[in-house]
Amino acid sequence: MKTNAATIAAPVVVRRIAKNQITVKRVLFYVALTVMAVPFILPTLWMISSSLKPIGEIFAFPPTLWSANPTLDGYVQAFELQPFVRQYFNSLYIALFVTAGTMFISSLAGYAFARIRFRGQNILFMIVLVGLLIPSEVTIVPLFQIFSGMGLINTHWPILLVSTFGAPSVLATFIMRQFFISLPIELEEAARLDGLGRFAIWWRIAMPLAKSALAAVAIFTFLAIWNLYLEPTVYLQSPELFTLPQALTRYADAYGGQLWNVQLAAATMTALPVLVVFVLAQKQFVEGLAQTGLKG
Amino acid sequence: MRSAKWLTAAGLLTTATLVLTGCSAASSDEQASDVDLRMTVWTSNEDHLAMFDSIADAYIADHPEIASITFDPLPFADYTTTLTTQVAGGKSPDLAWILENTAPDFVDSGALVPIQETLEATEGYEYDDLSDAATKLWKSDGSLVAYPFSTSPLVMFVNNDLLAEAGQPTAAELRGEGNWDWESVSAASSAVNAATGKAGFVIRDFDYTSWDNLASIWDGWGAQPWSDDGATCEFASDEMTDAFTFIHDAAFEASAMPGPGTTADFFAGESAFTVTQISRASLLAEDGFSWDLLPLPAGPAGEYSIVGQAGIGVMSQGENPEAATGFLAYFSNPENSALLAQWFPPARNSQLNAETLAAANPVLSAEQIDDVVVPGILTGVVRQGHTDSAKISQTVRASLDAMWTADADVPAVLQGVCDAVDPLL
Amino acid sequence: MASSTPVLSDRARARSGGTRPRRALTYRQRDAAAGYLFVAPQVLGVTAFVLVPLALVVYFSLHEWNVLGNKFTYVGVENFERFFTDPQIVPVMQATGVFSIGLVFFNLVIALLLAVMLNRSMAGITFFRTIFFSPVVVSLVAWTIVWGFLFQDNGGINGMLEVIGIEGPNWLREGPTAMISVIIVQVFKNVGLNMVLFLAALQGVPRELTEAATMDGANARRLFTRITIPLISPTILLTFIITIVGSLQVFAQIAVLTQGGPGISTTVLVYYLFQQAFLFGEFGYGSVLSIVLFVIVLILTVAQWQLRKRWVFYEN
Repeated sequence: MKTNAATIAAPVVVRRIAKNQITVKRVLFYVALTVMAVPFILPTLWMISSSLKPIGEIFAFPPTLWSANPTLDGYVQAFELQPFVRQYFNSLYIALFVTAGTMFISSLAGYAFARIRFRGQNILFMIVLVGLLIPSEVTIVPLFQIFSGMGLINTHWPILLVSTFGAPSVLATFIMRQFFISLPIELEEAARLDGLGRFAIWWRIAMPLAKSALAAVAIFTFLAIWNLYLEPTVYLQSPELFTLPQALTRYADAYGGQLWNVQLAAATMTALPVLVVFVLAQKQFVEGLAQTGLKG
Repeated sequence: MRSAKWLTAAGLLTTATLVLTGCSAASSDEQASDVDLRMTVWTSNEDHLAMFDSIADAYIADHPEIASITFDPLPFADYTTTLTTQVAGGKSPDLAWILENTAPDFVDSGALVPIQETLEATEGYEYDDLSDAATKLWKSDGSLVAYPFSTSPLVMFVNNDLLAEAGQPTAAELRGEGNWDWESVSAASSAVNAATGKAGFVIRDFDYTSWDNLASIWDGWGAQPWSDDGATCEFASDEMTDAFTFIHDAAFEASAMPGPGTTADFFAGESAFTVTQISRASLLAEDGFSWDLLPLPAGPAGEYSIVGQAGIGVMSQGENPEAATGFLAYFSNPENSALLAQWFPPARNSQLNAETLAAANPVLSAEQIDDVVVPGILTGVVRQGHTDSAKISQTVRASLDAMWTADADVPAVLQGVCDAVDPLL
Repeated sequence: MASSTPVLSDRARARSGGTRPRRALTYRQRDAAAGYLFVAPQVLGVTAFVLVPLALVVYFSLHEWNVLGNKFTYVGVENFERFFTDPQIVPVMQATGVFSIGLVFFNLVIALLLAVMLNRSMAGITFFRTIFFSPVVVSLVAWTIVWGFLFQDNGGINGMLEVIGIEGPNWLREGPTAMISVIIVQVFKNVGLNMVLFLAALQGVPRELTEAATMDGANARRLFTRITIPLISPTILLTFIITIVGSLQVFAQIAVLTQGGPGISTTVLVYYLFQQAFLFGEFGYGSVLSIVLFVIVLILTVAQWQLRKRWVFYEN
């Protein structure tokens, strides 16, 4: 190869060198990307591998990525120490309920703010706008006292109600409003001439066109509720009512000592399913969230 | 515009009404035929719970007005916070276990219903059998408001195998020579750490955050965090300074005690000594290392012992205080107290003997019980408590964090603790 | 389609007009009624769960609630006085500021760097984008627990450092490194989100513009600072605001990793609020801290509006 290159004309050599330089650059580029990827991917891998280690190996030195004697002890104990199945169900049903409720409420409100003219619209919109500006941490203390007065502490109601109707759903309403504003109005006008009422227009015409925005709303609502930590910590005290994030922090022996392998096993069971869904449907995730972020 | 204002006003009104009614509707009818009782506990041990359930079942069989009695295990780490939050949330349990160092909060605030009269009036209860030392902490205006159901001495567990591996005398030998004191324990611990890489002595559950567990050391120096009346901080006293100098040296110079963030579980064979409750003996594996049990080593101020205590109180904000008091009188009667002694050393003088306690702790020898457990209970003092325990505990913890570095200025840090905690006392 | 539409409209007509012909409403009136109905759940929800609590927080801040003693008493402005004399407030505000600034800075810089690196068509780019984004979908508490595990004194990070001969600090137990650790955990958790926003913005930069600039002899750096950055400035401002408001809300990371310690070096405002209200039962003082948080967010929002007017020229 080299002898060949030496014998042929100069311009070709220059091109070859340039090409080699590009290859080197390219390799360096991939090396850089790989190095940068470490803090993003290693914790997840470490979580999965450590959850399979026997307790004695958890803090072994030098650290090993894969145990020689993998065990499922942590996973078994995760179910024995807490009602983990029940907690999984709690998280899942709360997230699904709030996601469905938010999709319904925000698409209705978003549609009305975008399309229908009615008196007081701007005032009502301002009210909703306030919901967007106030982080839920500001209202957690009064809300606790309100729900305490209603006897709803240690039930799922505060989380279900506040998340579905309160501040967290407001961003969804904004996204839906922006989406419906950008939607061509001709189809709806045709439907109106056909005599369809608003509800029918919303449900039969507008909603089918809003699938991408709805998917985005669904994804970020689900993730937000799935990750909720302050609210469950404040409102729930019984282990059988706990949500997953709360349950993860409660894996301790009888006197408060941390059980790392059990905690990591439970964390893996919490994180992995969502991660798998993400990898399978990552296009929708990334683009949906980019869209909502830009518009919200 | 108008509608928006109206909505806001209506919403405000509704919520305010709900809050007010909720706050005032604490008491409800007492004579309901279906009373459900709930007791919060911090044990989630299935054997414990099974025994509670069997006591409860026996009571329900004789008391048709009681529909059910549930024992609700809350995580130990934030037990008191969770309990308080339940009360704040209008979901107060009927009965609750209470930790000794939070006792003042509960005893003085009116959170507990006085129970002495009911207990005294209960047939066969033998109220006078309760030891004065045990009930002292649980009296408000001279009247008992919680039953001290567990009085458990802090003891020192020793791993003889690790000591032998490091060429050290066993703990029993040290004691035989009259050298059972913190200096010797610290020296042996350093030797174990140097020879085996395992940890020396571990104050269990201290973990560089739960500082009140260090009482098991500073009591040996005659130190206490605040004066007996709870009004003056004594962290900066000479005794406390010496005690903390010892602890600091042990952790950062002598490597006698594992440093912050390092976990070492005695019961997994990872440390030579540990100070903990006697009930943890159940964690010892049957075919594990060779171990021994000793009283706490002596400090410069001499020998001492400490007991952990737990009380059961009837919550005044619970729905059925009377029914709950009735059940407590049954739960703590002599027969059930003997049953519970299996795990929870009783407060009854007649049951504080090797016979009852030996049945309670099958892994302990009669000698260990006679030698360590019974004297520990009889002479032990309770860790100091204070009102506003959560706030004080957090404030001291935050100030003490400065202590846990190698170059800490011990007296200055302790003075800082007093500066921070004084306004709260 | 053509065959189904009439069926639908018949049904719709039957539902809306057929059953209650009491008074003929104009189309406009009926439409407005639908409008109120559509927005009602959201408006009522925000009223009940945001506006009413916001009003009540002022009421609660003037009271003291003794939970165990079951007493709720009016104390006037005592809780506000306490705020101005509380020796913890200055360190808490400092911790909040350091956390927010550190988080925003590293988050935006890394997000922009990653976006620029990934803004090209090469094999494997999607794979790397997936990796950088993946922490966003990992449960927050799970993510925090793993990092907490890695940051233990004898944990993975110090283990790896020791292999190459460095003795690592006791990350979560020493003042400066505890704050750094908390920031690191949060940066890598959410930087993927901002990266995707930047990527979308970069892809929106018209190719003609950059090509024209290259022809004029602009080098890569000038191209980036003079053309690209100004063009994506609306996105930078947006992510800045989202990230800074988000940084004020950090709670789970602190609660799981440090509980505000060591000392109170990682006690940020929201954690302090939680501690006072829900750990110490100081609901009145907790209400005052809620008001403080609200005022900070309000200031940031107003500042954002001002900035939008002055700083960002390229917003459509």
